[in-house]
Amino acid sequence: MTFLEITHIFALIGLATGLVGILARINEILHRPYKQDLARPRGNVRRGVVYAFTLGMAPWEKESTREHWVAYIRGILFHVGIFTAFAVLLASPWLDLLPAWVKWIGLAITGAGAVFGFAGIAMRLRGPNERVLSLPDDYFSVFLTSLFITLAFIVLLVPAWLPLFYIVTGVMGAYIPISKIRHCVYFFYSKFFFGSGFGRRGVIGQAKSEYSE
Amino acid sequence: MTDQRFSDERYQLTDEKAALALDVLRQRLNRQLEASLEVCVRCGLCAESCHYYVANPKPEHVPAYRAEQLRKVYRHLFDPMGKAAPGWVGAAELDQEMIDKLMMAAFGTCTMCGRCVLNCPMGVDTRQIIRTARAMLTAIDMTPEGLKATVNVHLQDGNNMGVGEEDYVETVQWMEEELQAELDDPNVKIPFNKKGARVVYTFNPREVKYFPYLIQAAAKVFNAASEDWTLSTESWDATNYGLFNGDDSAARQIAANLEGAVNHLGAETLVMAECGHGYRSQRWEGENWVGHRYPFRVMSFVELQALYIKEKRFKLDPSVNNERVTYHDPCNQARSGGIIDEPRYVLRHVTTDFVEMTPHGAENFCCGGGGGMLSMSEFSKERIAAGKVKADQITATGAKIVVTSCHNCLDQLDEIKRHYKLPVKIQNLSELTAAAIIWEKK
Repeated sequence: MTFLEITHIFALIGLATGLVGILARINEILHRPYKQDLARPRGNVRRGVVYAFTLGMAPWEKESTREHWVAYIRGILFHVGIFTAFAVLLASPWLDLLPAWVKWIGLAITGAGAVFGFAGIAMRLRGPNERVLSLPDDYFSVFLTSLFITLAFIVLLVPAWLPLFYIVTGVMGAYIPISKIRHCVYFFYSKFFFGSGFGRRGVIGQAKSEYSE
Repeated sequence: MTDQRFSDERYQLTDEKAALALDVLRQRLNRQLEASLEVCVRCGLCAESCHYYVANPKPEHVPAYRAEQLRKVYRHLFDPMGKAAPGWVGAAELDQEMIDKLMMAAFGTCTMCGRCVLNCPMGVDTRQIIRTARAMLTAIDMTPEGLKATVNVHLQDGNNMGVGEEDYVETVQWMEEELQAELDDPNVKIPFNKKGARVVYTFNPREVKYFPYLIQAAAKVFNAASEDWTLSTESWDATNYGLFNGDDSAARQIAANLEGAVNHLGAETLVMAECGHGYRSQRWEGENWVGHRYPFRVMSFVELQALYIKEKRFKLDPSVNNERVTYHDPCNQARSGGIIDEPRYVLRHVTTDFVEMTPHGAENFCCGGGGGMLSMSEFSKERIAAGKVKADQITATGAKIVVTSCHNCLDQLDEIKRHYKLPVKIQNLSELTAAAIIWEKK
């Protein structure tokens, strides 16, 4: 067995461990009681949920993201970088077959994602609030994920780095359910509850009311 | 406790109290709460959404920091990493130091206004987290004195100011006579306990005790609209401070009292006085507390005023309210209740110069009077300091009258006005509506 194959298996074990951990987390939250809202709706719940997952995430929709648009866009591009790095991971056995233009797009996105990932660590260290709020796990999680994106970028240029990419993937995969990276699971719950709660009350994502100008 | 405001023995944590508080957390941990406790990435983007932070920008005033105090306890209890490596993931035991932090985070510097919830990119419901922390503290008798007393008086006397039935009835009858004299119309009535009336109306006890002219204003609106309405002597207090101390059993009892009164009268609609948290409690939380749907509709007096105007139930002369007016959205009514267009619709019809604050509506800043803050004198200094944000908003409008539709807001705005020397008058929406009504004898 080659070193590459060993690291490949390591990555698969890490990701499988992560998946089991994530499923355990999902199982846990699904076993918590769901608070049914008995109050008569004022607005459309579905519109609220759709808004929460679409327009509600636009940088201009919230005061916080309007004021901190640099931090918000940084975060968005970091996450786009993560998804693209996973795409690189999936395509990694066949990197040679990828057309050049696909590689260039991948390089641009993962390159930006990596830069914005490490920039996130710098922003946490620089901001007085962020410094107080941040936990060691926050720094390590962002570092590990940024490293993952960086290696995705590198392997697109130099496939010889694949073993290291697989090792970092394995470590990150196993770390997901026990770290702040698991927010990727809870995000969907949280946004759903946000959209359904405020949608039901007619606060977000609704059509104009009969009293609006 | 290190904070001298809480030196009383009841604020000392014992093992029994710690166990009880953690039990409350276990019992209340539903999917919504767990998602909010888990999803925060500590980005700090919520900071400027909080009026405490804007007035005094320090990390302790960032909503995520407040919620983080309960998260630490949660992680210690539920997260395997919280036990294995507490320092790494920010887990902590519920000890006296943590109780001190929770007291300040949950009661001292948060009005549960929900502005941070709307501004969180992840959808964290900090209101729910803070209310859970309050519930834990209330369960171990660590509610600040004033808030505790307000709930206890309500449960004991049927209203939160201990107003006796005789005083209540006499005050209302006095207002009926005053209104009849003012309008020179003996047909104007304020009915009590009218079975089968379409609408049952409630009051904030402050109206009965300190602002009876608001009873008169409401009565003028109902009479002008020829509404089939009544008051109840069985239960009439619109407030429910169980929302603020986090005690669901107290909140349930208070909501059930009002439900019982409406059911006994057989009304189809319960109209909540201009009381932000009272509206939210009965309209949005009440049915969840009592565990069933009410057989009647609950609406705010603000909604009803807008409806009457839309249906042209009375004629209006907006020129009587010709000074510049701005509107303060009560958080519990707008952000937590969706009543945003209605008060503006009313103001456009009863005033001649209405201007908006920036921001307004769902994004409006809390005045600082929410969350039961006015009952907790221990935190008055922080409350008034946080009110600076609202004072600046008001000043920027150049308005002479600040209108709102909530008693806690009314009181806080009045304190802000005096403290920051604002040349404005604070009024309830119904006062302006009542003033603009062109009276026609029926």
